[in-house]
Amino acid sequence: VTARPLVVLALGTLLSASRLTAQDRGGGFDHEKHRALFPTCASCHVGAVQGGASLWPEPVGCAACHDGTIEKVVSWSPPQAPRRSNLRFDHLRHAVSARAKAPVCAACHAEAGAPRMAVRPAAPERCLDCHGIRTAHLAAPDSACAQCHVALAQATRLTRQDVAAFTAPPSHADPRFAGADGHGAVARRAVGGSCATCHAREFCYQCHAGASPPRAISALASDPRSTAIAARGAPASHGGNFADRHGSAAAAAGSRCAGCHVRTECVDCHRPVAAAGPGYHPTGFLNRHPAATYARETSCSDCHNVSSFCTACHSQAGLVANGVLRSGFHDAKRFFLLGHGQAARQSLESCVACHTERDCLTCHSALGGRRFNPHGPGFDANRMRRKNPEVCTACHGMAIPIR
Amino acid sequence: VTATRRVSLALLLAALPCALGAQGYRVRLDTRIQAVGFRGVRIDSIPVSDTVTGPGGGPTTSDGFAVYCPSGAPYCTYFRPGPVRRGGPVVMTGDLTVWGFGLRGVSAHATARAGLDLGNVDAWPGTDPALQLLAGYVEYAAERVTARAGRQLTLSRLGATGFDGASLTVRDARRGLEATGYVGWGLARAVALPVTSPALDPLDDFQPRQRQLVAGIGAGWTAAVADLRADYQREVDPRSDYFVSERVGLSGAVRPAPGWSVTGGADYDMAAGWWGSAEVSLGYARRAVSGSVGARRYRPHFELWTIWGAFSPVPYHATQAQLAVRAIAQVQLRARGEWYRFENSETATPLVDVLRSGWRGEIGFTAWPAAGWTLDGGYEREYGPGAASAGASGSVTYAPAGTWRVMVHGATLDRPLEFRYAESVLQVYGVEGEAEPRERLRVSVGATRYVEDHRRPDAAAFDWGQWRLTLRATLLFGHGDELGGLPPAVRRMPGGRAAR
Repeated sequence: VTARPLVVLALGTLLSASRLTAQDRGGGFDHEKHRALFPTCASCHVGAVQGGASLWPEPVGCAACHDGTIEKVVSWSPPQAPRRSNLRFDHLRHAVSARAKAPVCAACHAEAGAPRMAVRPAAPERCLDCHGIRTAHLAAPDSACAQCHVALAQATRLTRQDVAAFTAPPSHADPRFAGADGHGAVARRAVGGSCATCHAREFCYQCHAGASPPRAISALASDPRSTAIAARGAPASHGGNFADRHGSAAAAAGSRCAGCHVRTECVDCHRPVAAAGPGYHPTGFLNRHPAATYARETSCSDCHNVSSFCTACHSQAGLVANGVLRSGFHDAKRFFLLGHGQAARQSLESCVACHTERDCLTCHSALGGRRFNPHGPGFDANRMRRKNPEVCTACHGMAIPIR
Repeated sequence: VTATRRVSLALLLAALPCALGAQGYRVRLDTRIQAVGFRGVRIDSIPVSDTVTGPGGGPTTSDGFAVYCPSGAPYCTYFRPGPVRRGGPVVMTGDLTVWGFGLRGVSAHATARAGLDLGNVDAWPGTDPALQLLAGYVEYAAERVTARAGRQLTLSRLGATGFDGASLTVRDARRGLEATGYVGWGLARAVALPVTSPALDPLDDFQPRQRQLVAGIGAGWTAAVADLRADYQREVDPRSDYFVSERVGLSGAVRPAPGWSVTGGADYDMAAGWWGSAEVSLGYARRAVSGSVGARRYRPHFELWTIWGAFSPVPYHATQAQLAVRAIAQVQLRARGEWYRFENSETATPLVDVLRSGWRGEIGFTAWPAAGWTLDGGYEREYGPGAASAGASGSVTYAPAGTWRVMVHGATLDRPLEFRYAESVLQVYGVEGEAEPRERLRVSVGATRYVEDHRRPDAAAFDWGQWRLTLRATLLFGHGDELGGLPPAVRRMPGGRAAR
């Protein structure tokens, strides 16, 4: 009993789907089979040649034969609303404007050389042929779109799903298309004209959310449906793991980044929010961070202030030395305090997250303690004294040695 | 602080009447709440006479804590599990842009952050002080000139430098040339606070008494095949006129052929007299395959009002490679690896053996088996000085429409430390959801369970399992020509390691 409604529902869904498919093909009407009955196309599709008339025949015309006696009864009714489309095509207007060049119905609705009434939906290639556009449909030049299509904002019948199903022209697949020299140049040249066929302002704002919008974007109409087309993903140049590697490219030409990114995004990572959950770092990074920070997988200090971020938290966790150096915290190395030099020079930023300057001056000061010399490879005493002798006074007092 | 307040107040007062008459504005409010917890350690001591011999032969407390007894000292020290700290940071970030003052190109920007911690006092870093102004400036932007005055952040090879002052950028777009100069009162590194802020001195250590003056210039050339830029920056202590830092940086990117790029850069610390960090990378990126090989070097930078630079931090040199292949439309495979070795630190440590080199690597995949479904998995491992880690993670995301998604994820992590006995083993699993109930409003929630076991051979080992909850709401509203939907770039950039 329980399964029956499900079966009925599934069958119903399948039937509905097949019915929809049939309607999409032209209502399931077999034109060729009926070719002997109808001398002309206009005998049924009066609206194609006569203003104010319906493009579809009356169902009563079918019932003249399909009455259950002569032929089986069929159930068909004309579409209640015009087809959802962004075509600017109107049969009557097209015929009037084309005058003598107006094609016959079969020119669009049948293959060349096909028998009479072997009807098929009009293919865009036939439009291109007549209008002298010698390319594939989607490869047509930018200026050609508006010939047959209205702007998206005017195609009011299209749903978001229709917009999402738009096929991208092959030009968009070029990796350079994402850049200013690609789609930017097209948009500047056409000032949005051809772009408007598929896009509206909101689509552009998916990426161009920064400062004043380019003129080509301002020229577009507003239409929220346009965001049904997801703006492109990251440019091919980004590749994998780009967030870790973007520094060089961003520093070399930050203006390129500004095409897609806004300053807020930089701030989101470079000035992280205390309450941020997983973001730049993956889930669980808090527990993994010792391994990442000892050898600085990335430069932590670019985004985290050591004092306010690292030390403050370590202090709460009881991990700061705060003057207690012989506590045995680093208990995996029995004599760590005596032999910490290499670890300190390699990972000084990590030491600083738990130790204060006072801790180190306990031993590394010329004024007291054990007077261990902390200076190592690359230390330029003269330069440092010249740049800021106050640093030297922390250990040497006023008696800064001259090398 | 007083100067900052005066500047901020002046900016606010100047912008207020203009804002009232402005033709457009955009506000982005981002509120995040997180409930987190952690448990550290607490130092304790015991008289030497009270210690007992533990199972390993070393001294322990009677309840099993391994102790450290400095020779000759009457007391031994050890670390007990610390108190449970619970934090509930709530942070709201407001981002305001106002334009249309009657003069084309003039706009005002402000980014401020207000936060508090609902948990234990100061349990979570970053909510003190409660109100922070990250940026607040007036901008004039024209084709050839951009000028800014107020609190701002300049991003360059030398990092993200915050200051209260003025900047000017002039450019010749036709030739791809651009030059920038800025000067002002500097903020502390990686935070929107002056160096004199008490929040930057949690351990009552040495702290500068006055804010530094920062000034810099930069010039760049941008073309179809290459970008080049040089930056110079100095920070000066106005009290003594001595340098706080002085650095120069070079950056470049060359695109010799479609899909190929060479990027690199280096910075030189003129105050310390040594090269800082540098990197060069050859990249290839097409739809199905992307990858890079490169070399880099990392040395930390310390300002001259600390003594850390005098301790001669040594850099490491690394070689790295990564590859992502999308052999079929439904699956992308990725792998990356890096090996590094520190320069000779010239330290004699006969009693302590410390690693000098290390490596890190990851393999993973992302699959899209059906519309709306995304599977992601990976294994990551690193081994080096100080600490190591190894772990796997995976997630399943279902996003049938652009307006909502739900993700379940899990991970496991093994994290031994080199300098302290603790091989923490962690297991993580959780669920996240995100929805856009209406245009320009995005809400996300998440709940994650952490099960952590500090494996030690004594009583200091303790389990610490916890739930972490996150809640985030982002609202965008405004009026005017520029208003659009939430940019996906905002969602992409901080998208987590897997998303990168």
